[in-house]
Amino acid sequence: MNKLEVAALVPIILLCGLFVYVAEDIPVFGDPNAAPIRYVEIFSIDSDEEGELLEQQIVPQKLTRGLVERGFPPPSRLEKVPGPPGEWNAFIAKDEAHYAREEKYYFIRREKGKLKVYRYAFVVRWIEKGLQETAVPNMVTYGLADYRGYDTLGETTVIFTAGVSVILLLRRRSRL
Amino acid sequence: MNGKKREDNVIVETIARIMAPFIQLFALYVIIHGTGGPGGGFQGGVVFASAFILYVIAFDLSGGRKRFPESANIFFSSFGLYIYAGIGLLSILFTAGAAQYLNYGFIPFTSHFEENRALGMDIVEIGIGITVMAVTASIFFDLAGKKEEDEKKEEEEPR
Repeated sequence: MNKLEVAALVPIILLCGLFVYVAEDIPVFGDPNAAPIRYVEIFSIDSDEEGELLEQQIVPQKLTRGLVERGFPPPSRLEKVPGPPGEWNAFIAKDEAHYAREEKYYFIRREKGKLKVYRYAFVVRWIEKGLQETAVPNMVTYGLADYRGYDTLGETTVIFTAGVSVILLLRRRSRL
Repeated sequence: MNGKKREDNVIVETIARIMAPFIQLFALYVIIHGTGGPGGGFQGGVVFASAFILYVIAFDLSGGRKRFPESANIFFSSFGLYIYAGIGLLSILFTAGAAQYLNYGFIPFTSHFEENRALGMDIVEIGIGITVMAVTASIFFDLAGKKEEDEKKEEEEPR
């Protein structure tokens, strides 16, 4: 290795270190409150007595009835969400239709004497709330260009890189 | 084309000349209606490039290059990507850093957040279409030109 190569290697290593440092500092993609990651509201219960049952980790009858009426699988087990009070996760039992494992399915929140029942489902949110949130009727397009915009930017970059590679490999008869 | 002069076929040339603008119009239709219907930037861009390919097949390579010169080709293949990345950057600039990259809703095209998202998607699709069109045409021209160049070299070499 001659002197020039060593002199080139040092800034490259420094630059790599800088990139790693900057990338460590950037927050991870997407915030937890972004549109596609939230949950969908199903219904709310007006009385607050069920809240006491929820505190004791018992599934209230009224909740189960309301969900089954709307065609949803009944919850089997409750779990307190760590953090703020008045929030629970409800699980559906193993071997419920389409679900082989026990699945975190509902989210229940206590708000001003009301119990609001939500459902965790990204795909459901994509289907039901997409038109409302983006004003585009095509489900594929708002997925491609809005919710997964980073991905499409990368795909376009891949195509551009392919074109540049072909130019560099084949077009030797003239300058660029 | 080894030494032979290519035959001019009137039917092929006429049909190609008539079809090319309609193919391009259909490509623009696919891109513009990409957000509402099936289709979008990738598909429309490839359809647009196929008009150039049809022209080169029916006529010749140098004529096609005259219609779509190399400088324009290079410009457009990066310009579409610039549109995409620029829209993402605009959403940061208009909110002074409050919104995320590629969050089109905060660009004030209209007064509605959702409408802004739809318009942002439209512009992004146009950017994708431009890049895909230029890159597909570029790759085709390069491959076709390579073949012609090889044939020319073979002719020049003494057996």
